[in-house]
Amino acid sequence: MNLKKYFVRALHRLQKGPGYTYKELLVWYCDNTNTHGPKRIIKEGPKKKFIWFFLTLLFASLVFWQWGILINTYLSYNVTSSLSIGFKTMKFPAVTVCNANPFKYSEVKHLLKELDRLIEAALERILQPTLGNSSESSSPPLDLHLWHQIPLVLIDEHDKDNPVILDIFESNLNVFAGGNQTSEGNQTSAGNETAVGNQTSEGNQTSVGNESACSHQGSDNCTYRNFTSAAQAVTEWYILQSTSILSKVPLQERIRMGYQAEDMILACLYGAEPCNYKNFTQIYHPDHGNCYIFNWGMDEEALNSSNPGAEFGLKLILDISQQDYIPYLSSAAGARLMLHQQKSFPFLKDQGIYAMAGTETSIGVLVDELERMGYPYSDCTMNGSDVPVKNLYSQYNTSYSIQACLRSCFQNHMIEICGCGHYMFPLPEGVNYCNNEDNPGWAYCYSSLRSSISDRQICIDSCKETCNDTQYKMTISMADWPSEASEDWIFHILSYERDMSTNVTLDRNGIIKLNIYFQEYNYRTISESAATTIVWLLSSLGGQFGFWMGGSVLCLIEFGEIIIDSLWITIINVISWCKGLKQKRAQARYPDAPPTVSELVEAHTNLGFQLEDTGVLPRDEALPPEPGTPPPNYDSLRVQPLDVLGPDSDAE
Amino acid sequence: AAAAPGKKITARIKRTLPVRGPQAPTLSELMRWYCLNTNTHGCRRIVVSRGRLRRFLWILLTLGAVGLILWQCAELLVNYYSASVSVTVQFQKLPFPAVTICNINPYKYSSMKDYLSELDKETKKALETFYGFSEGKSKVRRSVDEWNSTGSDFFEQIPLLKFEDFSKTATDLRSGQKRKIEGNVFHKDSSIVNSGDSNDIIGFQLCDANNSSECAIYTFSSGVNAIQEWYKLHYMNIMAQIPLETKEKLSYSADDLLLTCFFDGLSCDKRHFTRFHHPLHGNCYTFNSGENGTILSTSTGGSEYGLQVVLYIGEADYNPFLVTSTGAKIIVHDQNEYPFIEDIGTEIETAAATSIGMHFTRSRKLSKPYSDCTETGADIPVENLYNKSYSLQICLHSCFQKAMVDSCGCAQYAQPLPAGAEYCNYKKNPNWMYCYYRLHEKFVKEQLGCQQICKDACSFKEWALTTSIAQWPSTVSEDWMLRVLSWDKGQKINKKLNKTDLANLMVFYKDLNERFISENPANTLVILLSNFGGQLGLWMSCSVVCVIEIVEVFFIDSLSIVMRRQWQKAKKWWNNRKRDRAGKAPQAGDLERQGHDNPVCIDEDLPTFNTALRLPLPQDSPLPRTPPPNYSTLRLEAAFTEQLPDTLEVGQR
Repeated sequence: MNLKKYFVRALHRLQKGPGYTYKELLVWYCDNTNTHGPKRIIKEGPKKKFIWFFLTLLFASLVFWQWGILINTYLSYNVTSSLSIGFKTMKFPAVTVCNANPFKYSEVKHLLKELDRLIEAALERILQPTLGNSSESSSPPLDLHLWHQIPLVLIDEHDKDNPVILDIFESNLNVFAGGNQTSEGNQTSAGNETAVGNQTSEGNQTSVGNESACSHQGSDNCTYRNFTSAAQAVTEWYILQSTSILSKVPLQERIRMGYQAEDMILACLYGAEPCNYKNFTQIYHPDHGNCYIFNWGMDEEALNSSNPGAEFGLKLILDISQQDYIPYLSSAAGARLMLHQQKSFPFLKDQGIYAMAGTETSIGVLVDELERMGYPYSDCTMNGSDVPVKNLYSQYNTSYSIQACLRSCFQNHMIEICGCGHYMFPLPEGVNYCNNEDNPGWAYCYSSLRSSISDRQICIDSCKETCNDTQYKMTISMADWPSEASEDWIFHILSYERDMSTNVTLDRNGIIKLNIYFQEYNYRTISESAATTIVWLLSSLGGQFGFWMGGSVLCLIEFGEIIIDSLWITIINVISWCKGLKQKRAQARYPDAPPTVSELVEAHTNLGFQLEDTGVLPRDEALPPEPGTPPPNYDSLRVQPLDVLGPDSDAE
Repeated sequence: AAAAPGKKITARIKRTLPVRGPQAPTLSELMRWYCLNTNTHGCRRIVVSRGRLRRFLWILLTLGAVGLILWQCAELLVNYYSASVSVTVQFQKLPFPAVTICNINPYKYSSMKDYLSELDKETKKALETFYGFSEGKSKVRRSVDEWNSTGSDFFEQIPLLKFEDFSKTATDLRSGQKRKIEGNVFHKDSSIVNSGDSNDIIGFQLCDANNSSECAIYTFSSGVNAIQEWYKLHYMNIMAQIPLETKEKLSYSADDLLLTCFFDGLSCDKRHFTRFHHPLHGNCYTFNSGENGTILSTSTGGSEYGLQVVLYIGEADYNPFLVTSTGAKIIVHDQNEYPFIEDIGTEIETAAATSIGMHFTRSRKLSKPYSDCTETGADIPVENLYNKSYSLQICLHSCFQKAMVDSCGCAQYAQPLPAGAEYCNYKKNPNWMYCYYRLHEKFVKEQLGCQQICKDACSFKEWALTTSIAQWPSTVSEDWMLRVLSWDKGQKINKKLNKTDLANLMVFYKDLNERFISENPANTLVILLSNFGGQLGLWMSCSVVCVIEIVEVFFIDSLSIVMRRQWQKAKKWWNNRKRDRAGKAPQAGDLERQGHDNPVCIDEDLPTFNTALRLPLPQDSPLPRTPPPNYSTLRLEAAFTEQLPDTLEVGQR
């Protein structure tokens, strides 16, 4: 019923035209709004009216301008950081310990025998180029098969344009004419320089013959990597060759060839409690062979440490048995260790530190955490699920990290371009590691990929850092260990425990003591919080509006109401105008049209309004005829006349 | 007909009240008008409330709210210049820093023989006489003879003394004479001297050359320090006289120092290094100094992709008195920064591989008015002697050097020369050492004012280093490594290298995360204004409009009312005087006055309207026929008239 009534009323309204004019509406609004300016406009005298009008306009525009700034600020998603420092019970970091040397030389000797003989002979040739032949005659003939894939050459750059290239074993001089020699910033300025280069050749994946021919004719297939130092060249060459050899060995075998936990970890003490090699999780790391992780938190809960100081940390005694190092592979001797978060993969090449043999290394740890807000505040990832790179390290069950992403990205590229995976990184399913037999050109492919800046940039762009970044800041100090006085008994006991022998099987060169403990202040957390929240935005908006105009949301609603009203008036006006057109046509027939109801109403109400609108002076003139009873002009009654008149007009 | 008197009165009022707006005749009326019509809450309550307690409470509350607003806004203003810190981590290709590498020993001892033989001889002799130490008997005996014959300059200049128990007597080490000590005694080693210690205290005496009674004695608890310090003074004297080109030749060349170099997986050589002559460390070599315009960058972290160098240290060629440790010193710095090797270098051990992992942090502070730091150093009255970008260190050193030139007349050897000055040596400035020590003492005690003048730099880059050491070369690889490196070193040196002559250094980025710590202004003007608005709105629902109202009412209107009153008083007085003179009472002025202070007229908010409406009433008929319509705008009036007696009393007084 109400609805019907409403519609009827609306219909009448449409027929009769507006009850108000725009001016009335505006004046009513100004008088009754809760914002502070408008009221003054209508209340003051003409000069002040103008000033107030101007002021109100100015304030309104100020409010809108500043609202714009505030919203912009909000949308820029700024953050503020807060820092907290102190000591609390924290998870002890996972500690990964490796030997700098990946395999026991005694175990891999049979695989590397040929290579070692080759390199020894090559070194012989390099160091004494004239006497080289005599030593070779005594030894069994060398297998030059490996050699021809990647020969070591001497590049004589006396003449800049035509460097002379001397293959160490072939002793015939090639004048290198043109071609793509990659001389990395190596253009000699002062002549007289002999560079040692190792040549990586891109084989055409056909035969060995092609390889040897490469240096003679296929200059377009060859690049020379230049080294200014023979030591570097030899090491790089050896690494390339040995990777190729070792990549063919199955994983189980490689683990067996590496250092075993019981041989490496001689003693372990965590806090006051003894631990042993069984508390360590074995992981195969391509760079360092078998690595052992303490407190990785994969199977059991991570250990907490609630006390600062060396007494309550992890104490380890390691044996790296330096005598069993592969001589050409790694020249630095020591243990490699790294502190990292639970369930994360240890990237020792990046974050690892060395511990020197014959010393006690004390590492005070400070956990430096950075907790960041994700999108849209910063471009970081919570768990790596939104990164477009397939994480190959997920096979270790480890969490996402930027290093894992970069390496996975590189490996994916490598597989795409070279057709095989690099030995240092994990493999996706169905792909094999590169080796010289199956992929003769892999070394060339790899080195070009490695030095390509654009490929690296692609990986950098596609990987995102993690939002929660934990760094372990270490204060490293060293002392000689064991001391000369205690050396004897320590070696005796450790040898006995390990080998059950009374002979001393250990020495200074192999033994390392490690203390890892929390410092007095063990954490420093930088956490981000949004500088601008929605609450902040609202209160700032409100503050601005209130400051300039004393307004609130209700004022906005009022304003909206007025707009709706004025729309309504417009509609009614348009309709009445259309009616007027019709009537004009009708006027041809009836020249003297009777006044419409709306006109009557207007005439009636106008009187009342004008008294208020135009202020004081008109009123003086308007009043006198009827001083006693002016028509009631209550606000609340304003709608009423329409209603009252409604039935009358209907009756008409 | 009724309109005529109304109009008349209006016109008269208009004439007498030139001010528009609240045409209140008195201040209290104005206040009342203000309270009733203002947009702020609270004021109105004061007027509207009935009962004294309630009114008093409302006055209290309103004043409290005003006080709170003022207090909070003051807080906001005071805290306007505060900064919030934000930490951003960006993973990106990072520029590799400049790495400056120096041998700890500045100059090859063998080539310095010509310059230092005298000094060394005397130092050895001093050692022998004091401590009975000698290297080779025959050599010493020969030199003893020389000693006597030459008569050493060095001991004349700065005598080494042995003190006995602080009894103010000392034995001159050369002549064996005892002498009384005058002057100040400075203790270099510690401020607490164990006088009861059986150890003799050794030191040297520096005297003002112009005034020999002015002497300062520097004592050391250990002869090791004393001899070194003494040697260094003479050494600086000698070095100050040698021109730079010669010194560069005397020091290590790039070929000498660098055996192998490997960067980002590629081989590099001495052309990637820039020579940089450091006064105390001789020739240093800076990798990636950016001198040729390109700065290398790394796009991969990890030890393989950083800088790897093998350094030749050449322990045999060390100066035995100047440096007592072996190795190299490195410093990681920005290309624009001056490497202060002596201050913040990291030492590298021989026969070891030192791996240095870097973590890059960039910080930026807000300059004035947020904090007292300087962006470029241009606003600091100390000339930057170093040809590098500003840092606190540079400022302090420059400041000291300037003070040195000003007070001693020559420049200290360890720092660059200011324009028009030259290095101190005691041929030209016999007094400089004394002067230098006094000045240094002052500098350390912050009496030179350098620490006050110099400010922090606003932005700085920092590479946090994690240093660890491994044995290198390993026992099994030692043999071939040394052979190949000897071959690398070239044909010049035919001997096989010793592993204690070598140091392996790896400098790499641990990760490519750049941590950028920056301060941002916590407040902007917009935020400040909205906070003001929030405060004003919370306590009083006030806005700028209210502030303008307050200004309007309390200043302009009140002033005009006061002025008007004064004017009318003056007028009245003038009229009275005139009347007294003329003996005739002017009626108009009185009438006007009455019209104003007439209670019927006064109580209106809008006087024009009300006077028009009301004034005719008392004239026409005492009883109004119809009550005036109850317009919403007039509703205030109702409360007003009821209040009338109270306020009127106040108003009339």
